[in-house]
Amino acid sequence: MVTPEQNQYEPIKSVHQVPLEEFYSSGHRTCQGCESALTMRHLAKAAGPRTVVTGSTGCMYVANTSYMTTPWIIPWMHTQLGAAGASALGMSAGLRALMRKGRLAEERINVIAFCGDLGGGDMGLSGISSALQSNYNLLIILYDNESAANTDIQATGLTTYGAQTTFTPPGSAQRIMQRRWKKNVAGMMAVGHPTCRYVATACATYPPMDLMNKVRKALSVGGPAFIHTFCPCPKGWDYHPRYSHEIGELGVRSGIFPLYEVVEGQVRYTYDARKRRIPVREYLTKQGRFAHLVDEDMDHIQQMVDEMWEKWEVPGVAPFKGPLSEA
Amino acid sequence: MIRRIEINYRGVFQKTLARQVASDLVRIAARTGKVGFSNGRYSDAPERNGVPCKYFVFISPDLSEEELEAECGAKLDIDEADISIVLDDTMVKGVEPWAWSGIRPINEKVIEGGFLLVVSNKEVGELMKFIPKKEYPYHLAILPGESSLSGLWVFHDDLTHERVLGAMAGLDPELVSIDAVESYLRERTKDERRVAAAVEGYEWVHHRYKVVSPEEGIDWPHAVPVLPAWTEFREGVAVPAIQRGFRLGPRGQSRSTIFRRGTTKTMRPVIRFDLCRKCTLCWLECPDECFDPTPDGRYDVDYQYCVGCGKCAEVCPVNECIVMVDELRFDDDSSPWEFWNRDPQGYVDWAEEKKGAMRQKPLVVTGAGPVVTAPGQRVPARGVHDMTDQEVSR
Repeated sequence: MVTPEQNQYEPIKSVHQVPLEEFYSSGHRTCQGCESALTMRHLAKAAGPRTVVTGSTGCMYVANTSYMTTPWIIPWMHTQLGAAGASALGMSAGLRALMRKGRLAEERINVIAFCGDLGGGDMGLSGISSALQSNYNLLIILYDNESAANTDIQATGLTTYGAQTTFTPPGSAQRIMQRRWKKNVAGMMAVGHPTCRYVATACATYPPMDLMNKVRKALSVGGPAFIHTFCPCPKGWDYHPRYSHEIGELGVRSGIFPLYEVVEGQVRYTYDARKRRIPVREYLTKQGRFAHLVDEDMDHIQQMVDEMWEKWEVPGVAPFKGPLSEA
Repeated sequence: MIRRIEINYRGVFQKTLARQVASDLVRIAARTGKVGFSNGRYSDAPERNGVPCKYFVFISPDLSEEELEAECGAKLDIDEADISIVLDDTMVKGVEPWAWSGIRPINEKVIEGGFLLVVSNKEVGELMKFIPKKEYPYHLAILPGESSLSGLWVFHDDLTHERVLGAMAGLDPELVSIDAVESYLRERTKDERRVAAAVEGYEWVHHRYKVVSPEEGIDWPHAVPVLPAWTEFREGVAVPAIQRGFRLGPRGQSRSTIFRRGTTKTMRPVIRFDLCRKCTLCWLECPDECFDPTPDGRYDVDYQYCVGCGKCAEVCPVNECIVMVDELRFDDDSSPWEFWNRDPQGYVDWAEEKKGAMRQKPLVVTGAGPVVTAPGQRVPARGVHDMTDQEVSR
């Protein structure tokens, strides 16, 4: 069985080239200013109509498709928490089998699975890992709002160090309850899966069109692909919904969320924080979830971010510190 | 006998406030020998920013705790309320809750002779423009004040909580007396400011409410959706997707017809189409897909779906082009772009009149409340301002 021709998408070079039609439309139950919803909108817009989407439990399932309503125009299927990888793999294999048997016309149908940071970055890693080891065409998008936002903001492995969550309220004896450093999921996927053709990190709002172009690249390249998106959450990060764009932009420009893509073993920075970064304090002080931090904590976070960009073997991607030690 | 109170509030922003009002009413009732019970509406959690939610309080002077709890356990909604509290006045335009039940009138549950208590700086007439008729008389009381919005982690402690407790005593002294409210607050908080705020709320509404007669109010414009019976469900849980459809122009994008959620907003964007530079950012950055590209390269907005997050106003690079304005200044959701095309000067005059002289600029952290500024003072939008070509993915 020959894999059908890949979709060859045109890159979107200016905001005026962005397709006008929506495939994820109005009428969802997300928060005001929800950046995860914007990620959904842009992935659907970039992928176009010949796409099926599957999503594991989380905000983007419950807030979108509960109580017999849906904002999706392209087909969408719910799958269990942690099952995004398995669901994408099964869907892609099913489509291939139906085409082989002649029950579906042969064409390239995009399979996109999304998962949240809890459903993908914590619970779903094994399923995503196995999907990325396959030879099917599929794209897994981890939308990262740094908490289990659907159940009122519990900490996950991807929550920023120091953040207040329902699980990690600052106390009088212990100021910082979220003491884990953010799990580096995209780096893990890139380093650990030679079969994975494309790994990227992105933010829906900054730089403009960046996420849409990465989705298109991932769908064009063929084979399994993985994108980790940075999705500010006005409810859980506690800022006014109006500033969703700004918080995302500050996160990228402070270097706390590295933006890059890995194609055939080559890392390309789409915002090069090695060259210039704004102080991470500018990002932290604009969110209620960091309101309890003192200077010392912010300095620590700054130091960790600086280390990521200055000392890592592959800055922002792989945290080995070269050179190799003697045997 | 059971007294039923519902507290209508904006999800998350007023969750802490509503919960404090509800639990304090129960505690005060308990101190005066009554039995109380409070819970949140079953379908509201997990709450989303801005979505209308409810807390319920049930108080009985004669039932036992078990009997009251059996009567008032977790419910999708209550059938009737002796008092409906409204913590944000823009909800008088109707509330479309999470669960698919349509846009409902704010006074839907108020019983004959019951009370609708609204926290608002508006006059009675301004609110009655949106509230539908009822078949029987009831009372409308207004507690003057800004709607107090805060966050999940940061509570905007502006004494609205204490003022609402006092107002409750003003409306129904048998339920909670002002003496009971005062002694409770004094004992619990040891803060005379809080006691004074409660007394202020009490004095403001005590005997200063208005009787709303059956002929007052509007005819309700929103249909109640017909829910499928269990026999009509298909195998599995399959929901028809939105039909694909797009054309340039107002309402050209197909959208959900059964869940619109425009009642989530407290402010709406007013657009000066004549100032628009066609940069696309409002449309591109809208998380709710409510902007419609028009044939002239501008972007119309469908207010039925706009949730009023204000992102468009923030990212718009043109000063005064998109400004967020109090939702209660608007009577309908018709297309502003069509209005502008029909009558360009008339539209601009209308838009400026709606915008008024002052602008609300919220602080970044929600719990800190808004800042009011004169027009023209705003932070420039962020966008492509300092990126090199290499940084924009190609």
